Amino acid sequence: MSLSLFRHKAVTPRLERLRALSLFVDLTPAELRIVDGLVHERDYIENEIVFDEGDEGQAIYIVIDGEILIQRQGHGDNGKLAVLTPGKFFGELALLDDAPRAAQAMASTNCRLAVFFRADFIGLLDTHARVASKIGRQLARHIGRRMREMALAAGALQHL
Amino acid sequence: MKTTPTYGSGPVVWAGIIATTCLLLFFFQKMLWLVVPFLLALILYYLMYPVLQRLVYAGMTRDAAASLVTLAFIALLGVGFTLMLPWLAGQLADGQDSIIRYGQGGLRLLERSLRAIESKWALLGNAHFTDTVVERLGNLGGHAAEYIEPLAMGVAAWTPSLLLGPFLTFFFLRDGQRFKRFLAHAVPNAFFERTLYLMHEVDQTARAYFQGLMKLTVLDTITLAAGLWFMGFPGALALGFVCAVLAWIPYIGSIAGGLLVVLVAATDFPDSTAMAYWAVALFLVVRLLDDFVYMPLTIGKSLHMHPLVTVLMIFVGGAVAGVAGLMMVLPVLGVVMVVGETIGQIVTDPRLLARHRYANSLRKDQVSADLI
Repeated sequence: MSLSLFRHKAVTPRLERLRALSLFVDLTPAELRIVDGLVHERDYIENEIVFDEGDEGQAIYIVIDGEILIQRQGHGDNGKLAVLTPGKFFGELALLDDAPRAAQAMASTNCRLAVFFRADFIGLLDTHARVASKIGRQLARHIGRRMREMALAAGALQHL
Repeated sequence: MKTTPTYGSGPVVWAGIIATTCLLLFFFQKMLWLVVPFLLALILYYLMYPVLQRLVYAGMTRDAAASLVTLAFIALLGVGFTLMLPWLAGQLADGQDSIIRYGQGGLRLLERSLRAIESKWALLGNAHFTDTVVERLGNLGGHAAEYIEPLAMGVAAWTPSLLLGPFLTFFFLRDGQRFKRFLAHAVPNAFFERTLYLMHEVDQTARAYFQGLMKLTVLDTITLAAGLWFMGFPGALALGFVCAVLAWIPYIGSIAGGLLVVLVAATDFPDSTAMAYWAVALFLVVRLLDDFVYMPLTIGKSLHMHPLVTVLMIFVGGAVAGVAGLMMVLPVLGVVMVVGETIGQIVTDPRLLARHRYANSLRKDQVSADLI
């Protein structure tokens, strides 16, 4: 009886879907089950706004299905910054501080998003530091990659 | 896409918060049979939650962990009750004698005090004030046995309701997260992040309140026990603890606790009237500390409330719903305050409302695209 209590359950399709997301790629099935209890799934319709530039960020979003357009007013190319496809995440700075959103996120197709609330992430740091550190590592990798891309882009412009 | 200003809660929202709190207290008072076990379950939930978290992280499923934690609690309660049973049976057997003995002790103290006053005020002596008061209270005391039966019936009637507490706790532990997600699922996308924040704040407020209540109990117990021990009372710690638990009911609880200690002083120190007066003095000091230092520092601080609001709302709670109102006013106000302020921010934010309307129109267009 006691052994069966600790036996790992079969990985459900929802858990498989979570594991396919880059933010949670390092998590074991047991750890995924903990995160699964904290992640919300939301459906957005084409052209619906997920959040506005300047909004107080409370959560990170991960694209499960569909495409998300990140745009900022006054930026070239009609304000378009990036198009995010399944597996990608955005609004990640909300996990780190209370700073306002730097850009607007809009569903460019009907899409489904996983939402991870900042307070739940902070709670994980206290109660499940190992899980939080794995998510934090993915987050750091992602931010590092973006900084490299930005540095490269700035360098290229200088050469021009 | 523009940055919108942050809208705060104004006097209208605050009037709504206070009115809602009073209305809730009024209704809660009418269904105490459900509210009391619900509050008990909330306290148990916040006490057991860290254990549940550890078990889940150890690899146990949430359902199994909730069952195990609740069963362990019930087993602990059972063992404690079994161990206490012989002592409890002894206490119940001479319970009536003890009540009468302590009642008579209190009566003797009152008589001595009144006679001392009479000797100073001839007018009271002429009116036979002491004899009248003692005779009337003596008649009341003589019927103490009449109060024991309804008291026992009341305890018996409340037992099933209180047993609901652990049962509710189990479901809070097992389904708390599911229920939170279920609630969040019903919220439109435009208000989703704010609502998540609201639910988090409500959870934090309730957690802080009940943790504050536990801290207050510890502070009261330590202060009272130290004072009683210094005065030489027997069982100072137990007396202090009982009085601290009674103090969960603001004002009335402190008075009941004070009365209890005065009765003990009058009975166990029959030759020393001063001891009872010292006990009264101690309770006045603790009461002042409780209302103006401990409570604002623990419960009031946990609810992020101004001490003046805390004290005023305790009076309002008592006026609206009596003793139950005194007990419930702060947690109810804390939760209503968070909900009210957030709803106030949402309904006064034109950008959020515009986004919600826009999403609705998009949805309507999409579902009716193929219709003529």
